[in-house]
Amino acid sequence: MTACNHKWEMIDILYGYLVVEGCPRCGGRTSFFSTEAVAPIDEYKEGDHFWIYLGSSQAVKFNLKCTKCNEIVHLDDLMGLMMSTCDRPQCEVANIAKSAGKGSSVYVALCADSTHSSGKCISEKGIDALNQYFNQNIKTPEKKILVVPCSKCCGIDVCEGIVIADVGLTDIY
Amino acid sequence: MKISELVKKTGLKAINESEDKTIEGVYISDMASDIITNAKANMLLITLQTHKTLIAAANLIDVAAIVFVKGKKPGNDVVDLATKVGIALFSTEDDTWTFASKLTRLGIQ
Repeated sequence: MTACNHKWEMIDILYGYLVVEGCPRCGGRTSFFSTEAVAPIDEYKEGDHFWIYLGSSQAVKFNLKCTKCNEIVHLDDLMGLMMSTCDRPQCEVANIAKSAGKGSSVYVALCADSTHSSGKCISEKGIDALNQYFNQNIKTPEKKILVVPCSKCCGIDVCEGIVIADVGLTDIY
Repeated sequence: MKISELVKKTGLKAINESEDKTIEGVYISDMASDIITNAKANMLLITLQTHKTLIAAANLIDVAAIVFVKGKKPGNDVVDLATKVGIALFSTEDDTWTFASKLTRLGIQ
């Protein structure tokens, strides 16, 4: 049996809010996706954490489905994508971007738990599918998109990049 | 239609230098989340937004060029990023409807 040369398409596209919360006790951050009409701003206790609302932005969630073999890759853990502009020498993402060369752009797949205290990030399968999806549609020769998990960032608060989310865009209208 | 031909026919003002790609469609949007789910490679993106986030979204999709309507001009950091990733930027004094109508009359849809 030969492996499928996947042709991915976006499915289950949901538009909503990416809500970011922080815990002042541990400094941790968490985020979730909400499809409510107004982004929730609740404060609540969860174990040792006390989550407070930090901000929200309009965002999109989706899964990927192969049109050839019907395989579906669920991207429940994907909270957003960030185009990396980080140049810190100790940052693995920055080093990946440096070695990727001209024509390559590195995007960080952001998961819900920036601390990665659970040891989890976006799945390898999800990262592979995202890489295949975005590169399969590129028409510019020598252009390449590299999607990497946020566990490779030098730190979610210091790693530089442009998050693809609609926050603050309307300020300049 | 090549970007250079489009510039001649619509009077677009170039903001940066880039490759003369062939436009294969048009998408109008001011939202990054909408662009990454609906725009396609080599499309012309028409927008009122000049935020850097749009370049990050357009690059992911391999958008050929962006037209900022109503005379909007992005900051230098936005122009530098677009140039680095090979996205052509243009400005027009037209509003979105007027410019889109021009494209339709030229047979670009």
